[in-house]
Amino acid sequence: MRLPRFDYLGPDTLEEALDLLAVHREDAKILAGGTDLLVRMKKGLLQPKFLISLKALNELSYITQEEDHIKIGARTPLADIIDSDLIKDKAFALSQACEKIGAASIQHFKGTIGGNILQDNRCHHYNQSDFLRSGRQACHKDGGKICYAREDADRCNSTCQSDGATALMALGAGITLATKGGQRQVDLASFYTNDGIMPFACESHELLTEISIPVQGALSAYKRLAYRSAIDYPIVCAGVLLQPPKSQTNDIDEARIVVGAMGRSPLYLAQASSSLKGKKLSDTDAFKNAAELSMNSSAAFAVHNVGATLEYRCAMVSEMVFKALVQAAQSVKE
Amino acid sequence: MEKILITLHINDKPCEVMVYPNDTLLEVLRDELDLTGSKESCGEGVCGSCTIQMDGKPVRSCLTLAMEAQGTRIKTVEGLANEEELSDLQQSFIDHGAVQCGFCTPGMLISADALLNENPRPDKKTIRKALAGNICRCTGYAKIIEAVAHTNNPQESCPDCITGSKTGSKPNKIQGE
Repeated sequence: MRLPRFDYLGPDTLEEALDLLAVHREDAKILAGGTDLLVRMKKGLLQPKFLISLKALNELSYITQEEDHIKIGARTPLADIIDSDLIKDKAFALSQACEKIGAASIQHFKGTIGGNILQDNRCHHYNQSDFLRSGRQACHKDGGKICYAREDADRCNSTCQSDGATALMALGAGITLATKGGQRQVDLASFYTNDGIMPFACESHELLTEISIPVQGALSAYKRLAYRSAIDYPIVCAGVLLQPPKSQTNDIDEARIVVGAMGRSPLYLAQASSSLKGKKLSDTDAFKNAAELSMNSSAAFAVHNVGATLEYRCAMVSEMVFKALVQAAQSVKE
Repeated sequence: MEKILITLHINDKPCEVMVYPNDTLLEVLRDELDLTGSKESCGEGVCGSCTIQMDGKPVRSCLTLAMEAQGTRIKTVEGLANEEELSDLQQSFIDHGAVQCGFCTPGMLISADALLNENPRPDKKTIRKALAGNICRCTGYAKIIEAVAHTNNPQESCPDCITGSKTGSKPNKIQGE
């Protein structure tokens, strides 16, 4: 498969990259690892005039801890995150999620955490070859007016299948978006728009530079279900975080349950999360209950468009959430 | 869109080549440099048959722009053998019958080579994980994993290791041209 034509721009510094982005805006796309972008370009889903490569921008590849936050550069390869003891120790869910992205040894050296968060939503009917799509009416995401995944849908129902975003949202992460002459911080949960066509609120001249994860001794875990253990998108995934109160370690002060690959963005399930408040870490009945609630709240968002039947995926939500909760609770340090 | 001159270090040799910005590394290797060992199969990073090593790490050449490969040390399957002599890993693949149609083999060899350089005696679970990104549609993975496991660690209980090059009964050479 040939890539469509484009001009390649290789800035040497972040400033240069932001300058280029400010000039070219919609005409340009950022190239980090390329494992998502180049595939979409090959399929003709995207035809940017310019690619701005982050290859020389080593300043965007780092993992550090500053006070009570872990900071990760957006261009950090997934392999570095998997190898990081800091992430394993303080943000276990992210470590687990990154391990599952792509293949153990191949995409991890190219794929970046920033690219994983900013991967486009997917749908069986949309992520197809140019040839297949040319033989039928365009769907919402392709610029048309119909949806193949759900009849009479007035908008796009594509699914966010990012492992990294689901785990990071459970961890309560925030991101930094830089523009020429400025930057803004935004909570990952409010970054997602719940819109299938434009899944996140990222302006065309903004560049994701940093991910920041708060660490307060919380327990976290991530579970996902996919057909193939490598190079496959999840059909259901769940990230959970359990925060024990400062004084003791056996109660749950705050919980966050996030389910991915079900809706247009990772779904933070408030009802299921709050049902765990005040429960003991050993209370598996409470976990079961929260898992059921998760299934009920997330089922409404899913459509049949990423493989496996809808019934199966919905049923597996509770399974993934329950397993993640149990694992998180077991990871408590004595 | 114009062609640009870039220098690639492939199998310890510098190569100057004119490329378009939208040429992938795989296209340059195969079409410009005649290194046709790396194969294109899915073209979207799912199958692993185009795997090459960049700075010792396995990478998909079909999803890597040739421009992005400048300044890295590239190793393709052609760089495994030393002139006429196959590497231990390649010989082990032959001995264990780990090659059927051969289309996935260059990718398998490159992924396995990267693993063995880091960990000369990996256990089977590690090998499975390292080869998880490579698909074989012929026969399955048992022979391939065996071949990798026994490369630096021949087993007496394995008939393929005994009749193979490790005991010297087979010529460890490519026969003819």
